[in-house]
Amino acid sequence: MSRRAAIGILWHAVLIALLLAMFYPIAFALSNSFKSISDAYSSVMELIPSRPTLENYSRVFSRLDVWRITANTLFIALVASVFKVLTSILAAYAFTEFSFPGRGVLYFVMISTIFIPFNVTMLPNYLSITSLGLNDTLVGVALPQLCDATGIFLIRQSMRTIPRSILEAARMENRSSLGMLTDIVVPLTRPAILSSAIIFFINSWNEYVWPVLMLKSKENFTLSLALQMYISSEGGTEFTVAMAVSVLAMLVPFGLYVMFQKFIVSTFTSSGVKG
Amino acid sequence: MNKAMGKLAAVLFLLVVLSAGEAAESKRTVVEYWHPNAEAQGGLVVAELVADFNSRSKTTEVRERFIPDMYKGVMQNLQAEAAAGKAPAIVQIGWAFLDYFSNNFIYTNPQTVIDKYFPEDATFIADNFLPNITALSTGGNGDLLGLPYSLSSPVLYLNRDMLRAAGLPENGPDTWESLREFASIIKERTGKYGLYVQEPADSWAQQAIVESAGGKFITFENGRARASFASDEGIRAFGVYADMVLKDKSALHITWDEGVQSFIDGNVGMLYTTIARRASIQKGAKFDVGAVGSPAWQGHTKKLPAGGCFLAITARSDEEKKSAWEFMRFLYSVESVAAWTKGTGYVPPREGVADAPNGLKSFLAENRMMEAATTQMPYVARWASFPGDAGLQAEQALLDMRDVILGGSESARDAMTRTQDEINQLLQ
Amino acid sequence: MKNMNVKAFLMLLPSLSVFGAFMFWPLARTFYISFFEWNMVSPVKKFVGLGNYAALLGSPLVHRVLGNTAAYALILLAVNFVVPYVLAFVLSQVVKRGRALYKGAFFLPSVISLVVGSMIYTWILNPISGPVAIAAQRLGLSAPIWSKTEGAVIVVLSLVTSWKIFGYNFIVILGGVSGVSSEVIEAARVDNVPLWRIFTDIVLPMSSATGVYLFVMTVVQGMQFLFTPIRVLTMGGPNYASSNLVYHSYHEMFVVYRTGTGSALAVITLLGFAFLLFLEFRFVEGRVYYES
Repeated sequence: MSRRAAIGILWHAVLIALLLAMFYPIAFALSNSFKSISDAYSSVMELIPSRPTLENYSRVFSRLDVWRITANTLFIALVASVFKVLTSILAAYAFTEFSFPGRGVLYFVMISTIFIPFNVTMLPNYLSITSLGLNDTLVGVALPQLCDATGIFLIRQSMRTIPRSILEAARMENRSSLGMLTDIVVPLTRPAILSSAIIFFINSWNEYVWPVLMLKSKENFTLSLALQMYISSEGGTEFTVAMAVSVLAMLVPFGLYVMFQKFIVSTFTSSGVKG
Repeated sequence: MNKAMGKLAAVLFLLVVLSAGEAAESKRTVVEYWHPNAEAQGGLVVAELVADFNSRSKTTEVRERFIPDMYKGVMQNLQAEAAAGKAPAIVQIGWAFLDYFSNNFIYTNPQTVIDKYFPEDATFIADNFLPNITALSTGGNGDLLGLPYSLSSPVLYLNRDMLRAAGLPENGPDTWESLREFASIIKERTGKYGLYVQEPADSWAQQAIVESAGGKFITFENGRARASFASDEGIRAFGVYADMVLKDKSALHITWDEGVQSFIDGNVGMLYTTIARRASIQKGAKFDVGAVGSPAWQGHTKKLPAGGCFLAITARSDEEKKSAWEFMRFLYSVESVAAWTKGTGYVPPREGVADAPNGLKSFLAENRMMEAATTQMPYVARWASFPGDAGLQAEQALLDMRDVILGGSESARDAMTRTQDEINQLLQ
Repeated sequence: MKNMNVKAFLMLLPSLSVFGAFMFWPLARTFYISFFEWNMVSPVKKFVGLGNYAALLGSPLVHRVLGNTAAYALILLAVNFVVPYVLAFVLSQVVKRGRALYKGAFFLPSVISLVVGSMIYTWILNPISGPVAIAAQRLGLSAPIWSKTEGAVIVVLSLVTSWKIFGYNFIVILGGVSGVSSEVIEAARVDNVPLWRIFTDIVLPMSSATGVYLFVMTVVQGMQFLFTPIRVLTMGGPNYASSNLVYHSYHEMFVVYRTGTGSALAVITLLGFAFLLFLEFRFVEGRVYYES
């Protein structure tokens, strides 16, 4: 028994050490966002600033239209996540409910888009969006992100767990397919839908490579792009201000995650692939 | 679930309406001005200047576009924009991209625009720019590609406290030979590194080292450019620099931001980098920090590549070209150039600013570190820019060469000779 | 029956059109461009057939990048596949207390943007004056100048990327491991089968579908996630020692503007991923179909 307890404590120690290592960068960013630049340079190891200051935040707010930038980020993330979820629900339902010729192939083709790296599509998409006149617009950023194979996969996995008897009973009542979808299937797959939506939202919120290519006007910037204004230029990196922007960019994903943690964790734990 | 969806849809709709309401009508010609000036590097001044201009101009409205990732980012976006058949009206072009720009993009000589639409400005360029300065932005065919706007040169920043602690004169070394000794002594007596030479994604500082030893990055034979840095002078200079990193271990081989950070927090005694970093170094450093001009090699005169950018007119329509010059003329006024210098730390590109009371007179008196750069202007020359499509690959080959030499996997002689051959192959 | 097909088609139409316009059409275009020599702006595209591919496969630089890519894959798999697998087993069999807390906390860094993460790590990992280097110094160790050291640079960039993917992988694999029938495990425990045998002989095979899925996704996502840290921290340097296939194709396309070569590299990346896709379908989706 005591040996078992010792092993348990040992494993806890390993896990806690790992956790500390993973949380350190977050603490580091938070801490430095409250330091003056010369303190940040001279007291690197100090996690709790000895002379805390709000100057970095006040600079961010006075120089950047933070609300506008946040609204832009929110707009893109909302459009992307809502559309991704809607298109995924429809597609997942089509794959679960109907059997039609070519179903397997089509599913394969759709899921295979997960395996297309972004460097393959980036340049042609840039050209397409520009020819639509949507360069430097939020809609242009959102447009290629209206569908996501991961969503189809996750939601379909969840739909497949609905007991057949429930669906059979509904069919006996002569419900339309769409009616069945909205009244029975969607409510039963709610956790998968919700957590897909949140993950899509967070991913889009954090996205960097594609918006950086599309957006040029400061009025259209997202939070990740605003960060660019403070790093690696000929004049140097405004490190502490960049940390303040980073903290602001982290707030929403953090908040969402804390609020919906249960859903997200349980969706990925339970509706993953079962062996 | 449905309720939540409804709420989401409502928020969404509201946001769409809000962003659509932004498009306000304007009768003036609207032109875009592209720049890579992040907040720490003049971004605020750009915004101020543009706002000031827009409040005065009756004909033109300028929209500034910040492009991340410095001049390389500007080129990338210009390239992507051109692929889509569009272009901004005015762009900042980094010196290293001068030839690539002139070979691949449509531009208009500012003098052409002036002669056609602004006879009152006919002698503006000749009156205000020294010939060696306009020469910087002149292409191989003698055509003026644009006007120099941001000018910088490499200087040597000193941690005077550390120099004193090592028993060294606080005014620093004036030759690369003595700089090497300084670095060794710092290493020996303080345990800290002596020197860091900037290593961003260009070979600007390395060119200064080689050319201040009498080497030449590029030579022109019958109008054809050839790489020529692997001369005995060049190899010797680069060899000493590599020895400091590899043998003396008194110089650091590290990325740019890491290196500058290490200087500011007192882990490196001397920093060889652009004058444009003065403000942020001054602000971050908690020790007695100074700056002196770039050193030369014994028996040689220093020769320093100009850093920064020139302003090019890339507008396509006549209307936009007119607007572009109107804006440029505003940017080159004494007051605007003074504001630009204060906000960025660049050296003014035109005459009549440094001594003017409405210019920089009092600013330069208060910021003595600027002297390191303003006094070495006579030594400033063209940044090596390899012509043609192969130019960017040549630039890349130089970066690879730097990594190989300073990483110790090849000697300066071998790597430089090999790279020179490779580049000349590309240029053919 | 026909009616059903129409309905299914209509439901698939939105996703099909988005995928068609922004995935498959650009894919075809990239494939097309890979047969040309083109700098993205020049009006002239020079047809070179398979020339770009031939040049790439013969280039020592590309061999190097392929080697790096393999090294990245191995490290990412060790950190984000093997470690979470073992930890998930530990949490489901050895230490059960605090399980929910660990699950929730490990996932947290996954919601942070990689640009933000890379930005923070630039400072934390500064080999001279970052906190890690200082701590190492206090312990009497000297940290290598990893950002300019071949090999070390790959390890460090993999760790930065792992910060983003570890939590997600951990949760997914925990789901797979907890899905293993507890009766079987209890029976084995009663028979005094050692824990590691339970892990290798029972848990691994019984959670293999999740395992394969995660194995594949770690490589596919990891290679793309690596792009941002590489770009922010090293730009592929020193001398390409930290460039992987995805970054290198970007480098060719958008840094030296050999758009054709870059596209050919993108196609090669895609072929590699296609092989992983094949694995995934063979072992994961196949089983799913079999069940239904």
